[in-house]
Amino acid sequence: MALKERPKPFLLPEYCKGCGRCLDACVKDCITMSDQINPLTGLVPVDLDLTNCNACGLCMDACPEPYGLRPAHEGEIQDFELEDPAKLFGVRPSDAPEPVDLPSEVLPLPRTEPLVIKGTYASALGALLAGCRHVYGYPITPSTEGAELMAKFLPKLDGTFIQAVSEVATVNMMYGTAGAGLPCMTFTSSPGFSLMLEGVSYMIGAELPGVFVDVMRGGPGLGNIAPEQSDIKLACHGLGHGNTQAITLAPSTPQEMLDLTMLAFELSFKYRNPVIILGDGYLGQMTGKVQLPETLIKPGIPKWAVYGDAMHRKNVITSIFLTESDLEAHNEHLNRKYAAMQVEVRSESYLCDDAEVLLVACNTPARTAKGAVQELRHRGVKAGLFRPITLWPFPVEALVAAMKGVQRIVVVEASAGQLEDEMRLALSKAGVRAFPEFESVRRMGGILPQQDEITAQVLGRKEVRA
Amino acid sequence: MSKASVFYDRFERHSHGEGLKGHATHYCPGCGHGLAHKFLADAIDDLGIQDRTVAVSPVGCSVFLYYYFDVGNTQAAHGRAPAVALGHKFANPESVVVSYQGDGDLASIGLAETVATAQLGAPITVIFINNAIYGMTGGQMAPTTLMGQTSSTSPAGRNEYMGQPLKMAEMIAGLDGPVYVERVALYDAKQRIKAKKAIQKALKLQMEGKGYSFIEVLAECPTHLKMNPEDTEKWVKECMEPVYPLGVKKDLTVDPWFKRNPPSFDGKKLLNLAGATSEQPERFCQGFPNQVAPHDVSLKLAGSGGDGAQTAAMLIARAAITEGFDATHIPSYGPESRGGTSYADVHVAEEEVLNPGSPTPDILIAFNAPSLAKFGPTVKKGGTVIYDSSVVSDAPALDPSVKLVPVPFTGIATDLGKAVVKNIVALGALQAATGLFPKETFLTSIRQALKDKCALIPLNEEAFAWGIKAVESLGE
Repeated sequence: MALKERPKPFLLPEYCKGCGRCLDACVKDCITMSDQINPLTGLVPVDLDLTNCNACGLCMDACPEPYGLRPAHEGEIQDFELEDPAKLFGVRPSDAPEPVDLPSEVLPLPRTEPLVIKGTYASALGALLAGCRHVYGYPITPSTEGAELMAKFLPKLDGTFIQAVSEVATVNMMYGTAGAGLPCMTFTSSPGFSLMLEGVSYMIGAELPGVFVDVMRGGPGLGNIAPEQSDIKLACHGLGHGNTQAITLAPSTPQEMLDLTMLAFELSFKYRNPVIILGDGYLGQMTGKVQLPETLIKPGIPKWAVYGDAMHRKNVITSIFLTESDLEAHNEHLNRKYAAMQVEVRSESYLCDDAEVLLVACNTPARTAKGAVQELRHRGVKAGLFRPITLWPFPVEALVAAMKGVQRIVVVEASAGQLEDEMRLALSKAGVRAFPEFESVRRMGGILPQQDEITAQVLGRKEVRA
Repeated sequence: MSKASVFYDRFERHSHGEGLKGHATHYCPGCGHGLAHKFLADAIDDLGIQDRTVAVSPVGCSVFLYYYFDVGNTQAAHGRAPAVALGHKFANPESVVVSYQGDGDLASIGLAETVATAQLGAPITVIFINNAIYGMTGGQMAPTTLMGQTSSTSPAGRNEYMGQPLKMAEMIAGLDGPVYVERVALYDAKQRIKAKKAIQKALKLQMEGKGYSFIEVLAECPTHLKMNPEDTEKWVKECMEPVYPLGVKKDLTVDPWFKRNPPSFDGKKLLNLAGATSEQPERFCQGFPNQVAPHDVSLKLAGSGGDGAQTAAMLIARAAITEGFDATHIPSYGPESRGGTSYADVHVAEEEVLNPGSPTPDILIAFNAPSLAKFGPTVKKGGTVIYDSSVVSDAPALDPSVKLVPVPFTGIATDLGKAVVKNIVALGALQAATGLFPKETFLTSIRQALKDKCALIPLNEEAFAWGIKAVESLGE
């Protein structure tokens, strides 16, 4: 077999930045700096005189530019078109194909007797039923049981649970798995959620799905581990930097922890956007009746994923848009998605049809308020409850309907008015100006509003404290 | 054949590939990134893994890696590339994941992720470009900036108040997780050949499922070192290399270990894990115990950790739901991991528990005197208080309508040989004193809870029976 002659170097001066790293590499002194500025680049390229070249190739290894010094092809055409490098640099090993969606499958499950489980467990089961097999997390009370259950179950399902080094690492592991197109989630609580928000912003920017179950606790700072509705503001209006929004769900029973977790996965893939589930410490720990669905999801791979295979090679997951007009267009695209998400509003109206006093509450306080409605009805007060299930988008139309004929509105919450602010903003944006002055029953610090406080407010005694 | 076909034909993502940008990188003349890119591209090409490769590029000059590499690309937040890389690797264990990071990214803001990922040891490949300066933000001090080296944030030179340069390759090699760690350079032909080989080896180890590999590349940043490319090469050799010695820092011979099955979506398996069954349980209730409270019974169980209040509460909730009612149980504890207060609020409702808290319970089960003193007065008029008369000598005066049921939970349980069953004694007392559910309902719930510890069932049944007997004897 005849030895094939090694190729000599070849250079398009337009792709040479004139760094001169090849000069040292050449032992035959074939390369010199040009004495002229290249008019196309404004840079001084190198000149090649290959008379003494022995094709050692070291200059090519010294050139930092992919299209800089290159091996010349046999019979290289020397008068080339600048815009046709494919011709110049040879055939590629393969072209990246156009990816297609590999759809999810819905598998049947037999009907089972209701389980008696905690809210966090219900949420974890919901995630497993929704096809999530990748869970990352950092322990934080009162959300940790969810992660613990996943750590126990996932290995048996050949899934992945990794206890990350921090919440920051957690959200970025989610970014990776979501980028690969698979469902993933985490359990966290308020201080941990704060830490994740940078990553949430990146996920929104890069249009990645993922489910965050934030079992809210008392704040600010370390606060305590008792329930508060402390992160409504964060979830609805503070998901890290930039133009960010995500559907925010507020379950109020263990059953809803399961149902809304399943819904969250569906919505997060539908819109390619994270979904936040705000639980409260009570709900996370509360045991209740949970009926499993009769289907199980086996997830596919969406066409936009970077899965690490031939089909998805052409894809990129990024939130960088360096050109201003590109970033503006991207934000307009996000805004169109946010607008489309408005149809996902969900709420419950309990005895609102003839209500004169409307209570508004979500999460566990909504259950307490429901008890109060019943008690007030026994006492002859026409009370009703409006419970937003999506906090963003806020179910403002349903609220307006529930407010019809109402003389008083009492917002019941375990925060300093974060739910009320959502209502005000939603009503204002909807152009609703006329409504009774809001009254409130608010507790903080890990204390939830009690039923007697709600009834006392409604019945006219303002201050009843345990 | 041309080499490095892993680069795009045209860099469309680089300012839309306009003009020369379609075939030129955004790097400054003489920058080491370009060489590291070429060696990485060559390795991907040589190993035939272009389709399987996922390149993760976080913030730093190389954040735009995805302009150039025709592979799956993910751009990550500053410092977080190793975490993102793990997310990709576990999503598709067949993928070959490269985390390509600069010194600020890897050794400063992302240090936690860097170390944790290395120690985790899952097979990913980290390419660490160390040029001793921040490039993208414009020449600030890096964690790897040399002592005395000037930068825009160490204008008089790095001194002892700014900390010492971080030797990442040595640090990573000191961990148990990695299998291969090498520091290479780009300043001459010999080093470039070594660099090329090291990158290829690192990828190969990942392909073989052998583990985590880390290649530190001493690279040139002529712009921010304020030198021409030739002098920068010399500076790396003469100034950087003595601080950051080149060579293999760790090279373990290991068998391939990273093998992962595809996730299971077997419904039966999942239901088994969840403990869900299609078997209909036997029911014993004739109707809701309206004699205790109409439509919704509120209970509080209060004691210390270890009294078994939470287990008893759970058994009540399970019994209720088995009978077709709704129920909730909310535990609350003191801050101690062991031995603090332990309270349980339980509701049993005919249709739906509206308010799961029990601030004014219909029934209180108190396991000690402080619990009885604290919650006794909150019990509703006409309610029932069952307490451990073994440990409470004087019951507080409560509303006369409240029924007081003293039962020696601890005494009975100790006589049975196991103090821990005092909560089951309490359940027996609850059954006898209130008739909340039939005996069989409780017993089924207890047996169900102990189905994996069958040997304990007779003892618990006995404890339950003694609880009932104790209440019955009160009436005699």
